[in-house]
Amino acid sequence: MKRRSFLSNLVLTSGSLALGASCSRKIEPIPAASGPKTAVSEQGNTILEPSRQIPILAETDVLVIGGGPAGTAAAIAASRTGAETYLVERYNHLGGLWTGGLVLPLLSTHAVDKKQRTRQVIYGLGGEMSQRLKDLGMSISEVDPVVDPEAAKYVLDEMILESGVKMLYHTWATNVIMDDNMVKGVFVESKSGRMAILAKVVVDCTGDGDIFHWAGEQYDEMQYHIGLVHRLGNIDRIDPAKPGYVDKHIGGPTPIPSVNWVNMHGLDNQDGLDVINLSRLQQEYRREIWESVEDLRKTPGYEKVFLLDTASQIGVRMSRIVDAEYRLTLEDTMTYKEFDDAIGISGAWTTMLYKGKRIPREERPLWQIPYRSLLPKKTENLLVAGRCFCFERALVEDTRIIGTCLITGHGAGAAAGLAVREGQELRNLDTGKLKELLLKQGAWLG
Amino acid sequence: MAWLKRLFNKTDTRSLFLLLSILFALPLGWGAMSGMSIWFSPFIMLNSVFVLKSAVWLNILAVIVLILAFWRKRWFCRNMCPLGWGCDLISSSRKGRGYPIKKIPPLGKWLAISSLVAALAGIPIFILLDPMSIFNSFFVIFSQKLAFPILLSFSGLPLVLAINLPFPGIWCSKLCPLGGLQDELISVRDLILGKQRQPKRIHSIRSTGRRLFLVSGAGLLAGLLLPSFIKPAKKSYLQPPGSLPADRFNTLCIRCGSCIKSCPTDILKHHMDPSELLSWMVPEISFKEGYCLENCNVCSQVCPSGAIILFDREAKKHLFIGRAEIGLSRCLLSENKECDRCKAACSYDAILMEQNEGSLQTLPVVIPEKCVGCGACVLICPPGVIEIVP
Repeated sequence: MKRRSFLSNLVLTSGSLALGASCSRKIEPIPAASGPKTAVSEQGNTILEPSRQIPILAETDVLVIGGGPAGTAAAIAASRTGAETYLVERYNHLGGLWTGGLVLPLLSTHAVDKKQRTRQVIYGLGGEMSQRLKDLGMSISEVDPVVDPEAAKYVLDEMILESGVKMLYHTWATNVIMDDNMVKGVFVESKSGRMAILAKVVVDCTGDGDIFHWAGEQYDEMQYHIGLVHRLGNIDRIDPAKPGYVDKHIGGPTPIPSVNWVNMHGLDNQDGLDVINLSRLQQEYRREIWESVEDLRKTPGYEKVFLLDTASQIGVRMSRIVDAEYRLTLEDTMTYKEFDDAIGISGAWTTMLYKGKRIPREERPLWQIPYRSLLPKKTENLLVAGRCFCFERALVEDTRIIGTCLITGHGAGAAAGLAVREGQELRNLDTGKLKELLLKQGAWLG
Repeated sequence: MAWLKRLFNKTDTRSLFLLLSILFALPLGWGAMSGMSIWFSPFIMLNSVFVLKSAVWLNILAVIVLILAFWRKRWFCRNMCPLGWGCDLISSSRKGRGYPIKKIPPLGKWLAISSLVAALAGIPIFILLDPMSIFNSFFVIFSQKLAFPILLSFSGLPLVLAINLPFPGIWCSKLCPLGGLQDELISVRDLILGKQRQPKRIHSIRSTGRRLFLVSGAGLLAGLLLPSFIKPAKKSYLQPPGSLPADRFNTLCIRCGSCIKSCPTDILKHHMDPSELLSWMVPEISFKEGYCLENCNVCSQVCPSGAIILFDREAKKHLFIGRAEIGLSRCLLSENKECDRCKAACSYDAILMEQNEGSLQTLPVVIPEKCVGCGACVLICPPGVIEIVP
């Protein structure tokens, strides 16, 4: 018995020892190696610019910088409140990437409402623009219409003229005029030289957020893909009967039957604020487009297709995102979040992931945008509209889109006009009155 | 305090535990608490610890039960076992009738020992006969659509209850490996403490020892030989992150369905491949409704057998489920449409957009070393051209 009990004891003790000694079971993370930081394109050399007197071009109520979809809507909305409004645009047309960038579809016009019905959400100035284009026969499809760029330039010009906005084409904003944290105006540069425009309220619709950057506001910087859109002509002369013909993806239709527009995803993680990079991309992309069209023209059936144009503006999709009083979240847009200070509603155009689930475009809810997401945290007298207003990155596909830019532009313009009319600070603006005004201007707030 | 004592005395702990077990077993969305009652089974704990040669903190629950069973005969059976509750109910109704079972050998002991010895060699051969496993797999039917393997898993509990009709008490006293394990524990205790209450049973102890040796030998043989018969399963389905290799996974998984019930995105389903018997009813990932969340480790928390090894949430980018494959011919980008969704959805930076030399098109490329197969891209892809391959 002794041997047996000794053996049993041995087995038991060694067993329990083994149990105790076996470390607790868990798969632990492998510590990540810190990679090298990307080099910032900064040159050490500088030169001091001599100080000088700058002529004041105007002292106005509202100054809108950037004539893209947001800026155009902002200027018209402000002017319609009775405020004297200047609009500064660096190119020779309005509409920004919508027209000059040849990003022709006005996306996110529709979404699902609380009663699970798909409905139009883009109203107000954006709705007016798209209705006018439709009346001209220069817009195809009801949902996310594709427009003709020249027609859009014409319509926007007409609306600016009608509203009495003072237009400055061929003019770049180069710096802000600050008094402590208050924006007092903007320096602009053009063929007429450097000039100052003083304003009670400035609306930053530069897309890249140049104004809030100069004003010293905090922001998030995002590198994204940059592309260059082009258009092809003679699409109606493609001959599928030709021997050797193959079906090729050559972009999407435009209101002009013989013309297609071709999108370009472009290179990823590009810095849209680095002019050297932008220039390099511009050269590369133009050559690639030319060569790809040459290849296309060698394909049987496609001989008569030609390169109509490459976009006059390179497609910087994202750069800066301002830090505003409120950061719009993905959750807000998925849960019909209602804001007391809503300035508009935008829609959906692509699939999203939310809480691990797929939400296809057809099921995506409409979403409100609050006034506070246009109001920078530190800087006074400044509003931000267009793709650089305040939202979390998960939302970027929806917020950088033409439709949303039209909505934020309209909201910011109306707010600027109202603040001037009521003599109120932007930060203390009566948002009830703002909503009233927006409704009067044809906006839809749900 | 007196009333508390009275209440406690009156309340049968076993029916209390039965109630709790049912609540834990039902798909009530209790997250990490799903199937909590299984953690109390020492048989599953020992099998799991023997196979994996490691333990998790929750194993302490079963260790406590084991210690209690060391001092009090069949403590688990008398105080906790929900299956025993049912068996006793049926057996007592059949008292005096049915076949006597005295002459049936105590198979449960041998099942327990051979399973544990085989577990040391890598394969816990009888783990599925654990009463908690049988009990919990019964409830799988409430969370799944009906199919043959589900029915099979569902039928375990009624079958065990039913054999008590002709042979009252046979499951608990003769067949149950968990019961057998506790009996064995008592005889070991008697051996150690040298308690020979009935000296004339020395012979019987000796013969038990001999049988013990034989049974362990058989278990060891099974543990050593079986793996070569179980073909190293080719990866034919997507296992949850942190799973053991398929062949060991199939044998250690007790099919309790806790991971399936607790998955917050409902991507775990029962695997049903009629051609591969061993993999029936194990959890499988299907990216129809959701994807495997970046910061979730619930399935590994609830797995009582360690078939899904407990992993840290931060470790998730090294836990491989499968690899994304993109059907580029139908990708929106090859039609020059605006899309960036797969890259944006990827939390592991495993998708790059690469421009083909001399072409306008930028197309998504999967970096195999970074892709874990979480399925976010599968879910978000607007034309649905991405799939995860094991």
